[in-house]
Amino acid sequence: MKKPFLQSVCLKLVYKCILRPVLKFYVGVQYTDCSFLKDEEQFVIIANHNSHLDTLSLLTSLPSEILWKVKPVAAEDYFGNTKLKAKLSRFFINALLINRQSKAKEGTNPALDKLLHAIDEGYSLILFPEGSRGEPEQMSKMKTGIARLLAQKPGLKYVPVFMTGMGTSLPKGGLVVLPYNATLHFGKPTLPESSDPHTIMEQIEGDFQTMIQQFGIKEDDDDD
Amino acid sequence: MRKFLSMLFPAQSDDVILTISIILLILTIVSAVLFTVKKIFPEKNIKELENRTKSWWIMIVLFICAIFINHLASYICLAILSFFAFRELYSVLHFRQSDRSALLLAFLAIPIQYTLAYIKWYGAYIIFIPVCMFLLLPSVLVIKQDTHRITKSIAMLQWTLMLSVFGLSHLAFLLSMPDLEGFPSGGHGLLLFLVFLTEINDVMQFLWGKTLGRHKILPNVSPNKTWEGFIGGVISTTIIGYFLGFLTPLQPGYVILASAMIAISGFSGDVVLSAIKRDKGIKDMSDTIPGHGGIFDRIDSLSFTAPMFFHLVYYIAYPNL
Repeated sequence: MKKPFLQSVCLKLVYKCILRPVLKFYVGVQYTDCSFLKDEEQFVIIANHNSHLDTLSLLTSLPSEILWKVKPVAAEDYFGNTKLKAKLSRFFINALLINRQSKAKEGTNPALDKLLHAIDEGYSLILFPEGSRGEPEQMSKMKTGIARLLAQKPGLKYVPVFMTGMGTSLPKGGLVVLPYNATLHFGKPTLPESSDPHTIMEQIEGDFQTMIQQFGIKEDDDDD
Repeated sequence: MRKFLSMLFPAQSDDVILTISIILLILTIVSAVLFTVKKIFPEKNIKELENRTKSWWIMIVLFICAIFINHLASYICLAILSFFAFRELYSVLHFRQSDRSALLLAFLAIPIQYTLAYIKWYGAYIIFIPVCMFLLLPSVLVIKQDTHRITKSIAMLQWTLMLSVFGLSHLAFLLSMPDLEGFPSGGHGLLLFLVFLTEINDVMQFLWGKTLGRHKILPNVSPNKTWEGFIGGVISTTIIGYFLGFLTPLQPGYVILASAMIAISGFSGDVVLSAIKRDKGIKDMSDTIPGHGGIFDRIDSLSFTAPMFFHLVYYIAYPNL
């Protein structure tokens, strides 16, 4: 893993100098402190997914020194459907493109292999285990790939991140970014407690349940 | 310091400069006292007070720069304040997804409202939100044909806009008030009087409540508010207002009336917003200002005092408009 100088400078410029002020002052994203990520060698950020703003807010909140080695995992069929789009996503989002509908032979999983390969190279990842953006403020069932990834890499920490309001600001299919005080809540870097994918999944789901309880937007309960 | 400030703000009257000097002096004294307390009693925990004072410094310096340096910039800064306030307030109120287009339209009302204040078109300025937006926003809301809880959205949207844009834009229109003979401070004086009294009222109610507070005034809304804090605040604000009367064109009797009304309506704004926060189950509106909470935790009283003071002064001192 070599630090790509040009890309690193570009990422810092785009995310720290341009996008962060826009997200902070126009959209009103409220960042919580995540400077502790600087001390982590390698990690996988697991976040809920409601909007394109999710990835942008996550990248703008990361410490600028480690920006270049954190790769958001993105769908190849969406961000890489043309050559140019793939190139741009790889450069400006630093994306790791995987195929969501990989029809592989029994027993192999090219998408997971790609993630494992990036981990081996030393990159950190941002994963949205829900797979798709879905309805605003609703968390759909997480896919289990993340647990299988963590099971194969003992010692790799995960960081749960819970975001609220991003889907209100820019929902799926929305054209205009509505200013809205959306918030990013960083959890602590955590080691999986076992090496069984099923148990790991339960642990992650438990973390998110706690964060939803604590920070989730509560629906008004008045009924008429 | 007065000479320096006069150089910095050549357009301002001596009265305004004097008041700004007094404010900065008070803040310096408070900071010095806190610093000394920290040196003498290092075990005392005054972190929150320090944070608050630091935020006061930032807010006051920003306010002075925004209001007294450039005429047009004052309107833009106040419009930005309204933008932040509106965003913060509607963010905690939970609108529906189908309200997005109406919300965007409501945001567009901010530059229009402040432009009307800037060009001094009082007639349009005073009806734009209470009449035009009042009729337009529900019409836009029904286009989506989502009637589930639409009543709530219609009501909340108009209320939010009234409080954060219409209410606060009275600060801007104070700057558009015509010059009066024998009153050199003009709109800047009125604005300074209003903002200073509103904020000092918040501080005074807090201090009286902390030192003497026994009897709770609205325990289910704001458990820290007491009768002692409220009455002490009204009395001290009225006294301070009386001595700052030179910033307004009002007779001494009216200055006392205006000051007392600022104190009372400031308290109302404070508790109304407290009630909203309690309903939504939050402590602060957001975390924009360290030690204070969100923008609206600081300007809750101002959004009530501004229209009240404006129309009182408009009625008493500008009868020919």
